[in-house]
Amino acid sequence: MSNTIMLWIVLPIALGVVTSFLRRWQKLYHSLSILIPLLLAVLAAIFSKNLMPNFAGQQIILNDSFVLFDRTIQIAANQLGMVSFLYLLCFGWNLLIPIFKQSQWFGSLSLIITALWVTVQFLSPFLYAAVVIELIALLSVPLLSPRGSPAKPGILRYLSAQTIALPFILLSGWMVSGIETSPSAEALVLRGALLLMLGVVLWLGIFPLHSWLPMLSEESHPWTSSFLLTIMQSSLTFFLLKVLNQYGWLRNLPELFLSLKWIGSLCILSAGVIAAFQNNVKRLPAYFFLAETGYMLLAIAFRGIGGLEILRMTLLPRVLSYWALGFSVATLQQAIDKNTLDFDSMRGLFWNFPFSSILLISTILNIIGSPLLSLFPAKYILWNLLPVDILPLSIPVAVGVLAMLILLLRLFSTIIHPKQETPLEENNSQKKEGLFINLAVSFIVLTMIIYGIFPDLLVYPFKELFSSFQNLLP
Amino acid sequence: MTDPINTIALYLALFGSLLILTRRQWTLNLIALTIQFLCLFPILCSFLPLQLAIIQPFTGLMVTLILYLTLINVGGIKRINLKLLPTSGEVFRALAGILLLSLLRAFIPQLQPAVFPTVPNTYLFLSLSLLVLGILQLGTTREPFYLAIGILTFLTGFQLLYNQLDFSLMLEALLVAVNLLLAIVGSFFIVKDAEGEES
Repeated sequence: MSNTIMLWIVLPIALGVVTSFLRRWQKLYHSLSILIPLLLAVLAAIFSKNLMPNFAGQQIILNDSFVLFDRTIQIAANQLGMVSFLYLLCFGWNLLIPIFKQSQWFGSLSLIITALWVTVQFLSPFLYAAVVIELIALLSVPLLSPRGSPAKPGILRYLSAQTIALPFILLSGWMVSGIETSPSAEALVLRGALLLMLGVVLWLGIFPLHSWLPMLSEESHPWTSSFLLTIMQSSLTFFLLKVLNQYGWLRNLPELFLSLKWIGSLCILSAGVIAAFQNNVKRLPAYFFLAETGYMLLAIAFRGIGGLEILRMTLLPRVLSYWALGFSVATLQQAIDKNTLDFDSMRGLFWNFPFSSILLISTILNIIGSPLLSLFPAKYILWNLLPVDILPLSIPVAVGVLAMLILLLRLFSTIIHPKQETPLEENNSQKKEGLFINLAVSFIVLTMIIYGIFPDLLVYPFKELFSSFQNLLP
Repeated sequence: MTDPINTIALYLALFGSLLILTRRQWTLNLIALTIQFLCLFPILCSFLPLQLAIIQPFTGLMVTLILYLTLINVGGIKRINLKLLPTSGEVFRALAGILLLSLLRAFIPQLQPAVFPTVPNTYLFLSLSLLVLGILQLGTTREPFYLAIGILTFLTGFQLLYNQLDFSLMLEALLVAVNLLLAIVGSFFIVKDAEGEES
């Protein structure tokens, strides 16, 4: 295993396959699903300083490249921060798999999917990553649509979107190959950029091609969909940065960053406005995902004035918010014991499940960008940058945030007020929250507040995360 | 492309994909899928060495076999009824498919020199036809089995196009993996649906 590729791509895939045969031994399976990504994340963090560290007087040497089909795949030391981040994310979700009733394949497939997302970052030529993303989409099927339930339209749309994105990305790569040596080919540059952006829009489900997002979120288990969407968004952020870092012609396209700003604002506006009218809590994570994609695009678009720093500030708090959101929605779904979480079924829920309800509300507050919570500092900077740059950009963002607040108030009112015709005692089910839930919720909410007050705490471990994107750094 | 074998293969492949788009009989669809993949072989042979040209049709046949075996297991393989009158949906899909193919045929002479100058007209026509028929299939079905073969058709068209633009062993390997995984996902959907019907 004296190779970074073997250690962080091949080995996890192999272990994912092996652990899938151990599903019968639940405790062993769960323990391995938790320990393997944790170990890989820790190792990546250790080796990110140096690929030849000394352990107890013995020097370990890791090669950073691997040749496959005449192509070199390389993971250098300064890129291992990204690897560590992705495996940490996998660990975070695998940590709670014993609690939720979801696909029994989650432990092993999450590991394989994470390894494939790592591959996406380091494949060469990097636009071939589009095919790996298609593989990830196909591998997600057993998780999103487990046996025992029919295949629903959301997953079919998701597969279609990811498939249609593939040719756009690959053709853009072919179209602009060698463009660096002939910079006068303006039409070709525009065409290549347009194809690339279309591919990214389809991948991320950016408005107006977002219809699969809420459908998928509604149809699948919240814990599963939150994992898949979070790792997708984080990985595609890295991927987009890599594309911009690599392609000078794209980076220097004057219209690109302006378009990103408008697309980002439109995502926030559409997510907020559509979410405000929703009546199903399971669809909400998808709209928050869409809004956060908007913020991510805005941060990238402001790269010249500290956008990357903002992006780095939001990475871990955003993951934490998705994790908390997935946890609260999954807990409530399990508590209510219904597949749908419409507002009607959630009336008066607070009085029965106060901790889960508090977590849901505080997570939504955090995602909206409420002061004192972990996403606020970065969003505050972005909101201030908008009017300075282009005043009309702040209008859709403001409307989007206001619409999200309306949604929050509607949800709050729903879970606080019990059904009028039913006395409170009858409205309550027999189920109560356990001590674990109470402790976990208190810990998560406290963490969000602490990181809101001291935002550097979450940024510090990943301060070198973008160091490999030399061309994007100021 | 003046070779008559290639011309016959091209139109047979198009007929196969049009049949997949139109008819909703699993056995017939699998036969059409086999024809589509087999017809790729002489076309691929015209610009790739034999050992590379065989990869895509061979993978396609493997995929079809996986789907066929799954359908046998769930009792989905039935005698083909050619006398069955087409439904309005089938007529609509056939007409839409023919319209798209005609439009492509009309615009390929302008599109080819502007966008894909290195790809011969006829190959470009076949690749783009498979692409649009695949997309049409994706847009007109909610049945997972047809979605899987729609994606297969789409990817076949794209693979054929990309092989002519920039052949790469790594990409070929990745696309083979995608095709095989797609077959497994298709089978997974078929089994799930069958279980749902039984219960």
